[in-house]
Amino acid sequence: MINYPKKPSPSLLVLIGIPAGILFSIFSFLQIGFNFQDFKNNLSNRYLVTDPLFDPKWAWAWENSSDALVETIQIAILASIIGCAVALPLSFYASRATNLNKYSYFVYKSFLNLVRTIPDLFWAMIFTVAVGIGPFAGVLALLMFSLAIMGKLLSETIDSIDPGPMEAAKATGASHNQSVFTSALPQVLPNFTAYFLYIFELCIRASVILGLVGAGGVGRIIETQRIFLRFDRISPIIVLILVVVILIEQFSVWLRRKIL
Amino acid sequence: MNIPKQPLNQRIFKYSLTSLIVISAIWSASGLEITLDRILNAPAQIATLVGAMFPLDLSSEAFDRIIPKVFESLFIAWAGTVIGAIFSFPISFLAANNITIGSVNRVIKQILNGIRAFPELILAFVFLPITGLGPLTGTLAVGIHSIGTLGKLSSEVIEGIDEGPLESIKASGGSKINELTFGVIPQVMPTITSYWLYRFEINLRASAVLGVVGAGGVGQELINQLRFRDFPRAGTVLICTIVLVLTADTISAAIRNRIIKGKTVKS
Repeated sequence: MINYPKKPSPSLLVLIGIPAGILFSIFSFLQIGFNFQDFKNNLSNRYLVTDPLFDPKWAWAWENSSDALVETIQIAILASIIGCAVALPLSFYASRATNLNKYSYFVYKSFLNLVRTIPDLFWAMIFTVAVGIGPFAGVLALLMFSLAIMGKLLSETIDSIDPGPMEAAKATGASHNQSVFTSALPQVLPNFTAYFLYIFELCIRASVILGLVGAGGVGRIIETQRIFLRFDRISPIIVLILVVVILIEQFSVWLRRKIL
Repeated sequence: MNIPKQPLNQRIFKYSLTSLIVISAIWSASGLEITLDRILNAPAQIATLVGAMFPLDLSSEAFDRIIPKVFESLFIAWAGTVIGAIFSFPISFLAANNITIGSVNRVIKQILNGIRAFPELILAFVFLPITGLGPLTGTLAVGIHSIGTLGKLSSEVIEGIDEGPLESIKASGGSKINELTFGVIPQVMPTITSYWLYRFEINLRASAVLGVVGAGGVGQELINQLRFRDFPRAGTVLICTIVLVLTADTISAAIRNRIIKGKTVKS
């Protein structure tokens, strides 16, 4: 008879967590109000969408959306550059490794967390009301978006840097700020560049939908056509956006490989 | 003192990259007609808006409207994540190059890339005429987008597994199915579960936004209050959203931490 090792009993988290998760899932689906009869009825007028969706008006889309598409790219470029530039010093304050003051660390960390909880389109809505409809509001919205992501990624990278070089700098008589500048910053700069490219890609994707709330870019064209259910005009714009997004991503992947 | 210089081609690369960034920033700023005047005015304008939100509208009527919408966002995000998890799990095995036979994985990966390319909002307004105004549309949009992202992440986890256990199962006479259930799934499950939770955190933000096109959730409420210039109530909507997202993030991060840590203790 082989002596099998006993299987460890499942932990409390698994015993409570899995049934709770399943119950919550069932509850969520009930709350969403999935009604099969309505769904079937609605499915019969799917031709309203699918027919025009597969009958794209290319000439119209090219003529009307190319300017807005350039605007979208410009919003993403400007917002990601400024956002990441602002996030660079902030993340040093929001990391325990480089900020020795416990209280200011907490303040900066909470600020970054707070910015991160508000979704990008909410920022866009707030800024369109504050500074008026147009691409400027979009730039500000994506600026907050990229600031939040860069702040989180970079401050966590700074948390895990090698403390050796900083100690060495301090041993030669450098002040804390000098040691951060000469020893911590060069360690994270390659990460910073890689994150910047990643955030730029995210911004390009996010900037497409900014126009839905009036914050500029190609979403503006999509929104006006969407209201009239002109899916024949929307589908070529979406394809154009996809092509641009894929091209930019390829460029960014190439650049990242070159840097790292 | 003799400080060694960086090699020339590296320096050229660095300077050309810097100038590329500066030039593209200037090109963008001039194209968007962002003047210094507008930048200087912006902080004051934002402060005015934030000031108009306080004191917040804390009447019970406001909460009666807002709280159900906030929870609707939560349900959309959770149900969308469940859809994404259920469908992406089997698909990710087909998309992993060490599990599937032939070039099935390349085809599946391209399909996943295609799904991922569409933002939730665009999926939402394409579904809108079919599934109607309401949370169902949002759930479908979030769910389908999650299939794309979770499928990609999970398949990468599966590709990174240790092949040793698989070989030993094969050596002791296990079938291909045994290899999956005893070799692959125990190895990948902790990471994949934590990705599901991580995706839930992202979906929560996405579902909050979906209301803008009428696909359910708290976004509808925010855009309405901003349109009617009812800033105190808009402020309340914002605070409620922040509280929900922060709470969900904290709980989800704690569970993820526990899952990953539990793995390192056992091994």
